[in-house]
Amino acid sequence: MTTRSPSISRRALFGGLAATTGVLAAPSFLRHASAQAAYPSRNMRVLIPTGQGGGAEKLARSFDAAWSKLLGKPFEYEFHAAAGGQVGYTLYVEKREKNGHNLLFGNMGPEMIMYATQKPTYKFPQDFTYFCRTDIDDSCVFVRRDSPIKDVKALVEAAKRRPLNVALSRIPHPATIGMMALADATGAKFNYIPYGGGNPSFMAMLSGETEVGALPIANTLALNDKFRILGVFNETNIFAAQTDNAPTINGAFGTRIPELSSSRSWAVHTEWADANPQQFDLLQRTAKEAHASPAFREQWVKSGNPVEALVWGDRKTCHDYAEGMVKLALQYEQQLTARGGRK
Amino acid sequence: MDVSTAQLAELFVRSLGLWWVILPGMLLGTIVGILPGFSAQNTLIILLPLTLYMEIESGMAFMISLYCTTQLGGGIPAILFNMPGEGGAVATTLDGYPMTKKGQAQQALVLCFAASAFGGLVTTVATMAALPLLAQLGLYFRSVEMVVVIVFGLTLIAAIAAQDLMKGLIAGFFGLMIGTIGVDPVFGTPRATFGLLELYDGVPLIPALIGLFAISEAFVMLESETIVRNEDLSKAKNARWADTLEGLWLTGRYWWQTVWTSLIGLVIGILPGAGSTVAAFLAYHYSKLLSKTPELYGTGHPPGVIAPESANNGVTSGTLVPVFALGIPGGTTGAIMTIVLTYHGIVLGPRLFIERPEFVYSVYMQMLVCYIFMALMILPLARYMSRVVWIPTRFLVPLILSLVTIAAFSEREYVFDMGLALGFGVIGYIARKTGYEVTAILIGVLMGPLFEQYFLRALRVGQGDPSILFSSTLGNVLWAMVVLALVLPWLRSRRRQGVLAQTVRAGHE
Repeated sequence: MTTRSPSISRRALFGGLAATTGVLAAPSFLRHASAQAAYPSRNMRVLIPTGQGGGAEKLARSFDAAWSKLLGKPFEYEFHAAAGGQVGYTLYVEKREKNGHNLLFGNMGPEMIMYATQKPTYKFPQDFTYFCRTDIDDSCVFVRRDSPIKDVKALVEAAKRRPLNVALSRIPHPATIGMMALADATGAKFNYIPYGGGNPSFMAMLSGETEVGALPIANTLALNDKFRILGVFNETNIFAAQTDNAPTINGAFGTRIPELSSSRSWAVHTEWADANPQQFDLLQRTAKEAHASPAFREQWVKSGNPVEALVWGDRKTCHDYAEGMVKLALQYEQQLTARGGRK
Repeated sequence: MDVSTAQLAELFVRSLGLWWVILPGMLLGTIVGILPGFSAQNTLIILLPLTLYMEIESGMAFMISLYCTTQLGGGIPAILFNMPGEGGAVATTLDGYPMTKKGQAQQALVLCFAASAFGGLVTTVATMAALPLLAQLGLYFRSVEMVVVIVFGLTLIAAIAAQDLMKGLIAGFFGLMIGTIGVDPVFGTPRATFGLLELYDGVPLIPALIGLFAISEAFVMLESETIVRNEDLSKAKNARWADTLEGLWLTGRYWWQTVWTSLIGLVIGILPGAGSTVAAFLAYHYSKLLSKTPELYGTGHPPGVIAPESANNGVTSGTLVPVFALGIPGGTTGAIMTIVLTYHGIVLGPRLFIERPEFVYSVYMQMLVCYIFMALMILPLARYMSRVVWIPTRFLVPLILSLVTIAAFSEREYVFDMGLALGFGVIGYIARKTGYEVTAILIGVLMGPLFEQYFLRALRVGQGDPSILFSSTLGNVLWAMVVLALVLPWLRSRRRQGVLAQTVRAGHE
């Protein structure tokens, strides 16, 4: 058997390289071209910066029941809950492709407070932009049905005599700021205990470990037979009928505490949104349609949640809300971080 | 809540009719359980679109069978290779693997399967009998009580390290130190993360588990031809059906052990935030503590396999109790099931027991049917699976290493976790070679963050007053049990030494 040593001319080598590069690059080019032509061209991947089974997942899945039909693509989810959402946001900004197929579904309230207090590496609104607010979930203060505290004034009176333990989802949260603002305005003393989520906070209330709870109202209403809502941190209580006409905190005390709600929104990379205005417009338009669709609302109500909380908001509304939350967090930074906590 | 016997019988028959989802769920659960790094939670999340699409009854049957069987599957690699497939199977390695090394892999697997199946059956029946009552149990365990439960778990470090207490404590403290990495549970401030995003959530359990157990054990395995000692290999190869049946007989002999340790699992399953790993360790700890032959634990003693396996399956029954009774899930698995239930419009909480009690019982009936199917699998599964250990380590180790390295990646999909697992593998290997217990390190890694979380919370509830830790009756009873757990082995050894000394003296005289 004879072997022939291979000899390749320079022209053949460069020709071959050019052809190989062309063949390798073609799918990428075609994919890019087809992505430009037809968007979305593949499944939507959603990063949720909170844990599985929480309010965000319930809402996102109810929403995608309508939105996925409008976009013609199914949604896939991943969850990165660590550090109050910081890990999820950082991963989204730094590690997910900026192609409009990667979305983030976040809770703007607590996550903007975390952004303001923990100073992560990503920047808002340069790195990502919220574009479709799905709901407004007002923060509320509540007690157990069998509690001797019957209204919010009695609560403050009791908290003036001795510090009351308050169950919270986390320290950097709109409901926490609400309680801090209430304490500042009335001289009440509250002892803040973060339980890492709504469910463990409810358990702490039911077990009697804490006397008061401060959480978003939607999930609290789902346990209406166990808890009495005493007050709401907003200008109006849209759930007056379900909460025995619980007053707003500002109404009860004449305070001027800003609106403190959790508000979830879809977000996308700003760089992609600015570079692809038509596709971003499609995303915004279909999201608005999905929000108004009966499919979403029916699924949300079927999950035991109040339809009144579903309030749509556009990119500007979301932006203003997020900026407002950052300002508020900076006001309370000392109390919301370990530096102030030690004092 | 009234459900007649006739209705229960009907539900049982209907659940049997769901075999077409239960059996695939069980198959998948066994595979997921065997592979370290693939958890029931992650699999349920991946399959959520499917379960949301299914009818609620078949969706729940599928999820439950997958979840319950995962616990059983986790015990298989723990026994055969000293590599727990799930956190709940770590304690199974303590006696399961020594049995394998002695050529008793079949018996150990039967013990594991039988304890899982019968433990699961016991707790499912117990839950059906006392569901509303059990729901109240979770409300008695507040932060203070949970601190004591975790402290009790931590005392296991001392029990495991009975041979060399100082080394055991060093390993435990090393694990606790690793456990403090990540953001603090109150303000979310990063500690010792070195700016690495992957460490913000703390050192992840799965890569630590894979490294400390699977990778380090794979390194150790390479030092011999087969897992089973040469002198015991022929015994293992000649094992017959009679040997398989011996495992079943042993389970029957220790039936009471199966019952009470599975009930520990049930209670822990109801408590929020604890889970099967804590349950298995506590059950093992109690089993050793109350045994007449505690010195046999760690040498391949059957109750050392039964206790953790029945406990981790007991947890499965408890998981759904707070979901159904209160509408509040205690952990991730419960939360995923809550998503499916609410998606289908099931109203959870006390109203469920008034409006649709038959639905609650149907879910537990599906669990019961799953455990009955599991019981039927015991003998053939144990007999044929145990043969894996005959394979020479030169083939087995590369296969294991490649599988577990991928598994380390699978949970969070971070390449970082593969490196972390290898790092823990080296730590585990050094620990094994120098006589430090890897289990003690893992207990520290696992229980440290739990302890910190409950301890800080309890102190905040007490508004900084440490006497809060001794303020509840249940808590104080649990503290007394902790003290007993520490003192009892010492008293026993003193008594034994005393008796021995007397005998020796008598002999001399």
